[in-house]
Amino acid sequence: MRRFEATKRVMEAITDELVVCNIGHPAQELFVIRDRPENFYMLGSMGLASSIGLGLAMSQDKKVVVLEGDGAVAMNMGTLATIGLVRPANYLLIIIDNERYGSTGFQPSFTASNLRLDAVAEACGVERVTLIDTEARITPAVERALGANEGPQVMVIKTETGMPDGIGVIPMDGLGIRDRFMRAIGA
Amino acid sequence: MTPTEQLYERLRAQKIDFFVSVPCKLLAELIERLEEDPDITYTPVTREEEGLGILAGAYMAGKRPALVMQNSGFGNTINAVCSLLSYFKIPVVFLTSHRGSEGEPVEAQRVMGDAVKPLMAAVAVDCIEVASTAELDRVEEGIARAFETQNPVGFLFPFSFWEGGE
Repeated sequence: MRRFEATKRVMEAITDELVVCNIGHPAQELFVIRDRPENFYMLGSMGLASSIGLGLAMSQDKKVVVLEGDGAVAMNMGTLATIGLVRPANYLLIIIDNERYGSTGFQPSFTASNLRLDAVAEACGVERVTLIDTEARITPAVERALGANEGPQVMVIKTETGMPDGIGVIPMDGLGIRDRFMRAIGA
Repeated sequence: MTPTEQLYERLRAQKIDFFVSVPCKLLAELIERLEEDPDITYTPVTREEEGLGILAGAYMAGKRPALVMQNSGFGNTINAVCSLLSYFKIPVVFLTSHRGSEGEPVEAQRVMGDAVKPLMAAVAVDCIEVASTAELDRVEEGIARAFETQNPVGFLFPFSFWEGGE
């Protein structure tokens, strides 16, 4: 299972939730798998998808799902402490952990050696932390997490590296993504 | 009213309703206010850049967000100001205590104190200095303009503001 397959399984469990997605290949893959107005593709500011999702969860009632990468979480690990402090019930952070900086040439990330992001999330006070490494478990686990509404929750999905050929940049600009997303929220 | 109380009244008049902060001695009274006010959403954050992510989410959900921080923290925000706020047109209000301004006792604060204005200019943050409570109209005008134009605004409050009288 690569990130592409993992993202597909996550999106099979998504109904009306807001989805915030990490920069680069993850966003491009999500666009191909299932583009929808409730998706916010964060095209800059690596590391901040989890924080953007936190601000959304604190400001409105819809459930928020964040698709992050291991390298991005390592870049902004402090926000796990804030998530553990604020504890929004409607917040699910999914870290797709391929142990690589995939969009920049597959350099090994910190989870390739000693970093365990599930343990960091627990140490930050997040009680519902799930570690998944088989594709078949993903959709039911996400459905269960979203059904509970007892967040914050963190799910770490271990995957292989690599991505399918032929996936290109997202044909939308920032304002287009933002406006469509804000209309979907209806704030 | 203290300078902090006067400033807070102006922020609420402009309907700022979502705050995050990284502490500064000069901001201690303002942060107490934020902790106590049931009519706003507030959390401390670990770092200013993280705060901008949270505020961007809040803005897209209909809030009017502000980051409370020391000027040194502006250096931690530069990429997020460009790649998140400017690129997606997300207005945020920076409420910045200006260490390194006139009256600064700590020499090490002067370097970033001098750099903050050119840094704000370089990343197109509308920089407005508020030297005393007599200039608080500039805060209301600046906030109104920020949300109208969807550009971030950065207020600098030097020692003279916080040490001002009634």
